[in-house]
Amino acid sequence: MKHFFKQLYKNQVGFIGFCLCVFVCSLALFAPILKTHGPNKQNIRDRFEGPSTEHILGTDNFGRDLFSRVLYGYRTSLGVALISVSIATLIGSLIGLTSAYFGGFIDRFLMRFMDILLAFPIILLAIAIIAVLGSSSVNTAFAIAIVYTPIFARLSRGPALSLLSWDYVTAARALGASGSRIMFKHVTPNILAPILVQVTLSLSTAILVEASLSFLGLGTQPPTPSLGLMLSDSRDYMLLSPWVSLFSGLAILLASLGFNLFGDGLRDLLDPTLKNL
Amino acid sequence: MQKFVLSLILLFGFASAQTGTLELAVDQSPVGLDPHVVTAFSSIAVLSQIYDGLVESNADLAIEPALAESWTISDDGLSYTFNLREGVTFHNGRTMTAEDVVYSFNRIMAEETGSPQASRFSQVSSAEAADDTTVVFTLSEAFAPFLGNTANLSVVASEVVESEDIGQVAIGTGAFMLDEIVPDTYVSLVANPNYYRDMQPKVAELRYNIVPEASTRAAGLRNGTYHLLPVVDPATAQTLENVNSVSILRTQDLAYSLLGFNTTVAPFDDARVREAINMIIDREEIVEAVYFGQAEAGGPLSPGLAEWAVDTSEYSCYTTDVDKAKALLAEAGASDLSMEILSFGTNKIVSDVSQVVLAQLIDAGIDATLDVPEFGTFVQRWKNSEFDAFVSLNGGNIDPDGYLFRTFHSDGATNVYKFNDPSVDELLVQGRTQTDLDERAATYTSLQEKLACSGPISHIAYGTLLSGIANGVEGFEQNPTRSLISLRNVTVE
Amino acid sequence: MTNYIIKRIADLVFVLFGVSVLVFFMLRFIPGDAVEIMLGANVDISVERVEALRRQLGLDLPIHEQYGQWFLGLLRGDLGTSIWTGQPVATEIMARLPITLEVTLLALAFSLLVSFPIGILAASARGTWGDTIVRIISIIGLTLPSFWVGVLLLYVVSVRFPSFPAIGFVPFLEDPWGNLSRLSLPVLAVSLPIIASLSRILRSSLLEVMNADYIRTAKSKGLSARTLLYKHALRNALIPVLTIIGVQMGYLLSGVVIIEQVFAIPGLGRLIIGAISERNYPLVQGTILVVTLFFVVVNLLVDLAYAWIDPRVEYS
Repeated sequence: MKHFFKQLYKNQVGFIGFCLCVFVCSLALFAPILKTHGPNKQNIRDRFEGPSTEHILGTDNFGRDLFSRVLYGYRTSLGVALISVSIATLIGSLIGLTSAYFGGFIDRFLMRFMDILLAFPIILLAIAIIAVLGSSSVNTAFAIAIVYTPIFARLSRGPALSLLSWDYVTAARALGASGSRIMFKHVTPNILAPILVQVTLSLSTAILVEASLSFLGLGTQPPTPSLGLMLSDSRDYMLLSPWVSLFSGLAILLASLGFNLFGDGLRDLLDPTLKNL
Repeated sequence: MQKFVLSLILLFGFASAQTGTLELAVDQSPVGLDPHVVTAFSSIAVLSQIYDGLVESNADLAIEPALAESWTISDDGLSYTFNLREGVTFHNGRTMTAEDVVYSFNRIMAEETGSPQASRFSQVSSAEAADDTTVVFTLSEAFAPFLGNTANLSVVASEVVESEDIGQVAIGTGAFMLDEIVPDTYVSLVANPNYYRDMQPKVAELRYNIVPEASTRAAGLRNGTYHLLPVVDPATAQTLENVNSVSILRTQDLAYSLLGFNTTVAPFDDARVREAINMIIDREEIVEAVYFGQAEAGGPLSPGLAEWAVDTSEYSCYTTDVDKAKALLAEAGASDLSMEILSFGTNKIVSDVSQVVLAQLIDAGIDATLDVPEFGTFVQRWKNSEFDAFVSLNGGNIDPDGYLFRTFHSDGATNVYKFNDPSVDELLVQGRTQTDLDERAATYTSLQEKLACSGPISHIAYGTLLSGIANGVEGFEQNPTRSLISLRNVTVE
Repeated sequence: MTNYIIKRIADLVFVLFGVSVLVFFMLRFIPGDAVEIMLGANVDISVERVEALRRQLGLDLPIHEQYGQWFLGLLRGDLGTSIWTGQPVATEIMARLPITLEVTLLALAFSLLVSFPIGILAASARGTWGDTIVRIISIIGLTLPSFWVGVLLLYVVSVRFPSFPAIGFVPFLEDPWGNLSRLSLPVLAVSLPIIASLSRILRSSLLEVMNADYIRTAKSKGLSARTLLYKHALRNALIPVLTIIGVQMGYLLSGVVIIEQVFAIPGLGRLIIGAISERNYPLVQGTILVVTLFFVVVNLLVDLAYAWIDPRVEYS
């Protein structure tokens, strides 16, 4: 672990990404301490203000403090992203591993089922799921999770399949190691690299999917602040007061930049064939 | 001879002076074309150009002749005789007669049509064609709003209804004829060359462009793609205000935003709780925050109905007073009030009003939450009264009865609040049967006073109807009913 | 190879069947049915009338029978009838499909056209500031939601260049210039993220290839860097780009669904979003089926092309 961080530190881009991730996550985590106003507290008289000492990033159309809303927006958006990607990673790779381990009919059935989900354009599947479940941040996270699950299933199945044919795994099998032991002890650690990289990239796209759903009125519901919803709502006021658009856009950019750079760094570190690039 | 030819050209040139296309941008495609069934504003905006009623209401909400040239009302208010214009033809060339009016009326009243207008004519016991141009309606009891309601009696051609699907074709007598519907793109109407009003319509084509995104409609008006946005939201209007090539028109809207309660759910069955919430709501703040000042706080009737509406200063509960509200809640045993407000996100005014109302309630210490389902689900729950309270926008009417009866009468068509107050019912029935204007006004004054503070609705605000119009478009006049009948007078440069 | 293709087509049929089942049943779980939405806030209607409407639309049947009927129709090539307009679903889809297809393909072509120079530039400038700048710009491209870019572009263009026709849609055959100019902004808005990811992938695959043994050998033989890049590396680097085009098509379609809303383009996206909120079951089912068919066929073609370009791939 220590070694890993040393390597990460050396890989500048990855390290910057890592720091950004830590930064935005702590903004979200410590939002209740850092906030200067209640995120939903309206003050109509102070609407559409630019940045000032009272409101660091200015105020929105209801005079709500933008800085505090960005903090809580991170909470919602990162929460949605983390929950959805975690579920997708867990269930997806479980499906992928099961598929690879058993092969045959189970493999075919599971993978075809994943293909069915993968065949839907992302946004349409998410719209349909949310229409069924109703719109809220939790349901948005759930919808995104379902959308991402097949990606992780595919991603883990391929490498697992080739690992299972390797000598040492065959040897472990011959020695009578149980299926779950082989999968978790021998296979999982070796497929972690591509999955981790995909996790970081998915985190940043999940924020975008949430934003697109909010644009269609299907994501997080007001007054809960989410970065996507704030950006989407701000389009009506772009000419009256550009601050909301600017800062919620920047907030998304910061998180996305962090995840992407961190993902790049991870890939460089974990995938030895790319080390020299 | 030359002179004759010249004058003929002049005459002819004048007669076919319908030139140009008026490009409108609206947010939604029309939902269905059956004039007796549709309720969506997007449909009515189109159909009101194609079909005519017996009368129409002008920009000052006065009733003017349309298909009926004149009318007489018997002294007891039980018999209405309409004299129809002569020589009015349907778009298919056939002459319209009194039989068509009777046919259309019967179609509205027929159960299987399922027309929402039927309840507006429930006092009519018979409609008969005395001759080709005279229709007589006989009422079972005097019903003051009847005349105004005949504006909604769209006259259809019986042979069209019988042989074709009236949900797909539209053959009326109106100034424009349906030309083409390209789904999600535009609806195009062309001028009716045989329209019964001289020199109208003035443009050759009306094109309703379907543009879902408000900022896109605004950008289109700015750069000349569109000539007219019949409805503009207040924020967009503010940004368009400074654009040289565009002007913003204003008139009082009849529609109002409201917070409605389910009066069968405790504690909202207690009038004191509803009154307390009225006191918590700061209407001025909502007018500023949601409407950008382009609205007026109002009670049960629109300030646009100047002869009827009671001034809000008369309502004690319209003065925001959180302490008094809390005392009232305590008295009702509802100090720890918690409520879920149902709302929907497809209308910006509704979505914004619910957010500000929510914040005001929370600030006053009420445990309020917002539930924003998808619109279809909202309608479902609204219709089945599955809510504590909801925020929505209600359409208006040119007659107080149109506002109040269907909303507050225990048998009212849109009484989703399940409000049941015999004294209100009595006044509502009284109001619609009174023919003496002063007596009627007195009835509605006491109704408004009764309903404003302890009725099932916290009336919030009557918006200003904002329209955006490009320079060079002349003759457009806004109508508080949101009807677009003045389009037949519009010219495009 | 033939066996492989047959197997893939069998899988494709299975996937489509699965999609049809999934869509059909998922739709029925959405609260409120077509009849209730159709009547909307119209409360004057009697219960009998509602039931009659349901019967007329076949919505009163048990759900598996409804599916059976629809499925039998599918086998005959009949996608059903739109509940609201009474038009055949196939007709409604065919009216919209070319529009969405045009935007998607234009965006794809534009993305490829732009991402190649960027990718090559970044690869050849690896490790320099230029590389880092391209990298950061491409992440920004990935970050901005297309609806927001669209609204911004629209504002800028309509204020600065009011005479540029940017809104709405006219068919290409009616007015080619009007068609292309109106589609230019939406195409730009949906292309940004695709350009960003394509150029990144191109960069890394180029670098990977340049590091491969055979290129090193060629380099040691004294071939110029230019020849190397264009004659050898680029060709091999195309393979991973090709494979991800299949995946990118999915993202692209999602982007187009959103951008149609912003620019008032009457494509499949608006058709389906409208159809979902109206609970127009046959229309949603048909549209999703057609879109997924398109999507899986593209992916199949990509896989086949992949196998054809790179003979090392096993058909399993």
